[in-house]
Amino acid sequence: MSVIAPKFKLSEFIKSLLDNVFWVILLMVLIGIPAVMMVLFVIEMPVINGELLTPFLALTWLADPSRVLPIVQAFMTTDIFRVMAFPGFGFAALLAAGTIFVERKMLAKLQLRVGPFYCGKIEGILQLMGDGLKLISKEIIIPAKADKPIFWAAPVIFVAAAAAFVAFIPVAPGWVVADVDLGLLGVFAVIGFFPIITILSAWSANSKFPFIGGIRALFQMVSFEIPLILSLLGVVILTGTLNLSEIAASQSSFPWIIFLPIGAIVFFITMLAELERIPFDLPEAESEIVAGWLTELSGMMYGLVQLGTYLKLYAFAALFVVLFLGGWNGPMIVPPFPAEILTDGIVMGPITAKIPGLPLFTQEMLNGTLWFVLKTVGVIFFILLPRGVFPRIRIDLLLSLGWTKLIGLAFVNIFIALGLLYAGVLGPGGLQ
Amino acid sequence: MTAELPPGLALQKVDERIMTLNVGPQHPGSGHMRIVVQIDGDYIVACDPDPGYVHRGEEKMAEYRNYILNIPHLERPVIHDSCNVLYPYVLGVEELLGIEVPERAKYVRVIASELNRCIYIMYWLAIYGIFLGHSTMFMWPAGDREFLIDLMEKMTGARVTHAHFVPGGVRNDLPPNFEDVCLRQVNYFEKRIKEYAAVFYDNPILISRTKDTGVLSRQDAIRLGTTGSVLRASGVDYDLRKKEPYDVYDELDFQVPVMKEGDSYARSRIPWLDMMESCRIIREALQKMPKSGSVRVKLKPNPKGGNDTVYKRVESGRGSLGCYIVSDGKPEPYRVKLSVPSFRNLIALPYLLKGEKLGNMPSVYWSLNYWPVEADR
Amino acid sequence: MSSNSEKPTPPAAAKPAAKSPPKKPEEKPIELPAFEKGLADKIVEQFGEKVEVAFVKEDRVRINVSKENVHDVAEFIRDGLNYDHVESVSGVDYPQDKEIEVVYHIGSYTDSSLARQILVLATRSQREEDPIPGNDATKLPSLRDIFYSVEFHEREVFEMLGVYFEGHPDNRRLLLPEDWADLPPLRKDFAIKGR
Repeated sequence: MSVIAPKFKLSEFIKSLLDNVFWVILLMVLIGIPAVMMVLFVIEMPVINGELLTPFLALTWLADPSRVLPIVQAFMTTDIFRVMAFPGFGFAALLAAGTIFVERKMLAKLQLRVGPFYCGKIEGILQLMGDGLKLISKEIIIPAKADKPIFWAAPVIFVAAAAAFVAFIPVAPGWVVADVDLGLLGVFAVIGFFPIITILSAWSANSKFPFIGGIRALFQMVSFEIPLILSLLGVVILTGTLNLSEIAASQSSFPWIIFLPIGAIVFFITMLAELERIPFDLPEAESEIVAGWLTELSGMMYGLVQLGTYLKLYAFAALFVVLFLGGWNGPMIVPPFPAEILTDGIVMGPITAKIPGLPLFTQEMLNGTLWFVLKTVGVIFFILLPRGVFPRIRIDLLLSLGWTKLIGLAFVNIFIALGLLYAGVLGPGGLQ
Repeated sequence: MTAELPPGLALQKVDERIMTLNVGPQHPGSGHMRIVVQIDGDYIVACDPDPGYVHRGEEKMAEYRNYILNIPHLERPVIHDSCNVLYPYVLGVEELLGIEVPERAKYVRVIASELNRCIYIMYWLAIYGIFLGHSTMFMWPAGDREFLIDLMEKMTGARVTHAHFVPGGVRNDLPPNFEDVCLRQVNYFEKRIKEYAAVFYDNPILISRTKDTGVLSRQDAIRLGTTGSVLRASGVDYDLRKKEPYDVYDELDFQVPVMKEGDSYARSRIPWLDMMESCRIIREALQKMPKSGSVRVKLKPNPKGGNDTVYKRVESGRGSLGCYIVSDGKPEPYRVKLSVPSFRNLIALPYLLKGEKLGNMPSVYWSLNYWPVEADR
Repeated sequence: MSSNSEKPTPPAAAKPAAKSPPKKPEEKPIELPAFEKGLADKIVEQFGEKVEVAFVKEDRVRINVSKENVHDVAEFIRDGLNYDHVESVSGVDYPQDKEIEVVYHIGSYTDSSLARQILVLATRSQREEDPIPGNDATKLPSLRDIFYSVEFHEREVFEMLGVYFEGHPDNRRLLLPEDWADLPPLRKDFAIKGR
């Protein structure tokens, strides 16, 4: 089998390209532009450079490229951009995809094999895309006796809950989807959803192995939520706020992990359990209960659950960063935006391009995002690492760990925080 | 539906607390068999192993082929341990035909048998690792096993199904320079398996998970007639290489690892210790082996045994493996019975799993050093 | 030693006696291994005419008994001779004798002097041309109450040769599929296809 089609001719190739260009232009003119016009007619438009962004003005970027950036900037301030793209779903999904790739390659190196290698030429970088395509194209099989509405809904709700979790995470100063005063409580509430979704999916499948897996997930998540919440109380006591942005901002001089290492360790362990990662992947223990609560999920339903799982992984790692590692705080390493571009424009030989609307992002925002991403990737690395080193734990050991040791340690952590507070070392009147 | 069902299919009285799980044959934690497990909550109240999914009738096939033609198919039950599974048959045929094996062939057999033992145990260990959710312990043994497979390929020409042992010796002499290569590979292999202790056997989670689970006491191990690593993990010092030395095992110096605990941790550790001893045996056998000489006695074509029965046994990677041959004076054996260690150890499974937690099922099941294909034959 | 045994089982004892002992008795006084001979003598001493020593070789002693006495002999082997487990239970079909032989290979873990020894206990059961496994005359007493380890082996012999073991608590199929409706496959009249 040859790679190039047997009747390959350059002229035909060029002809096919021109065909494509023709059809694209035709379809855009006939369908695309009217559709954009209709949409722009409905949406409330922002004010740019003192004039309201009308559909006519919005489409002038086709004729005048200098209007592109202000429009983009205006779009970036909208809620829909925050939810869909940057601090929200898109950014998290991108990091989650990177996580999956790193997990596969790292685990492979740890186990003296190569891992994904062929798909995408460079170290199998497109393997995830291939897997996604495969999952999308697979048939979705619903068990005959399943409770169909709930079974269908569970993966979607799972992703939705994970995305809701992501919404609370502040990535850079001011860059957060939902900047609520009780953000941490909101996080607890969203975490509380996951066992319910799991048991709904497992029970509605009406099959034995998912049922056992769901029960296990319920046990595991419920028993680990208590140390999880308790381990974060230390931070709340010291900062006196539940707003995640304020908690991150409070760590400008030092991260809380210096004073509350026990809380950080407890939170990390409970995080592993909440994420169902080895050594706590009991709800999916394949040698005991096939694939646990995922057994009956097939095709893109499984893909959605995996997406939700990795979103959750990113969100937990980010929460760890925000609460214990200082969030976006870090030394300023991003260089300031060159001022001469603003004043003089970009000089390329005879052409001088003045680009209005720059800079797109402030220096603080870029620096904060950089530090946040670096720290998050570090935490994700430590979440992935146990998979290569540990076997699976048993459910009774897990429960006794959660109910006795971790809760005890969480209380120790709270007492340390209270001691620091009342001794006046930290908190109001202390170092801060 | 109310028609009378055959006795095997009759429905049992359903207890609402009890859930029956079919673990296998399509289950990542069962191998080629089915274990019908009844659980009450997380506890197993009854377990009924159902082997036979890979039954191939090796014993029946052996009645239709002559003594030499039986060699390639009798090793099929455990292709990872194919030299050892053939060993008792070959010893038995030699006794039936009254053949004396050359000294060098005996050493070659011992080396091949020990290499095969390691190959088998590595495969077993890989599956034990993945059953416990330790994926590194799946990849490492599966990869390191290749060193020894390469050795066996040099020696016999085949990667896994060697058919190397024949009545009267071994099929081929060693290739030139085999001793050096073998010594080098085995030394490296030994270094590698020592690393497994750090990543697997000394892992606190593994220890907390497998210690004191599925405990088989010494009395029960004897009463149930278990063998091999299961028996030795329960404190019975019984290894046929010591107790009933065949070929040149009585001239070699080695220890038989024995542990007293009888739990699944001990049962999983014994094979690993066995591999250490195997490396030692291979090195010593390479040293003591006559450097030249015949490795095979010429047989008459289509040899016939007398009216006799023999029962020979060897210590395979899983335990004592016996072969009972009934000869009626024809070129084909009248009856060949393989008494395989997996089948003998299977009886301990329902006994051990009763009252265990469901999470212990994979570790207890696979710690029995059980190979479903061998049990089915 | 190869004398005719008691009435109910003349074929059971006569056939192996015809097969191997005729050669053996000449060698017996000359070079029989002493330890193994002692084991055989103990059994003969206990049971006299009821047992028949088929051969005494190095590490192997074979005893043929009738199916009426196999339970008692096995009990004596366990209690009197310190054997503690059965390694293998093999069924051998003899259509020409209209009999099925079941051979127990009995070994010992506890007694170190018996570690090399295998005591072969053979008994024979009536064979029917048209078997209905479990419901015909092909029956033997089960040794499971004496040697626990025969449990799965006897289940295998039951399905493979159709020998029903009376007193076995769990006489179900083991290896064969549940819907197997042919002859027991290890009988000689079950032919492999193409052979």
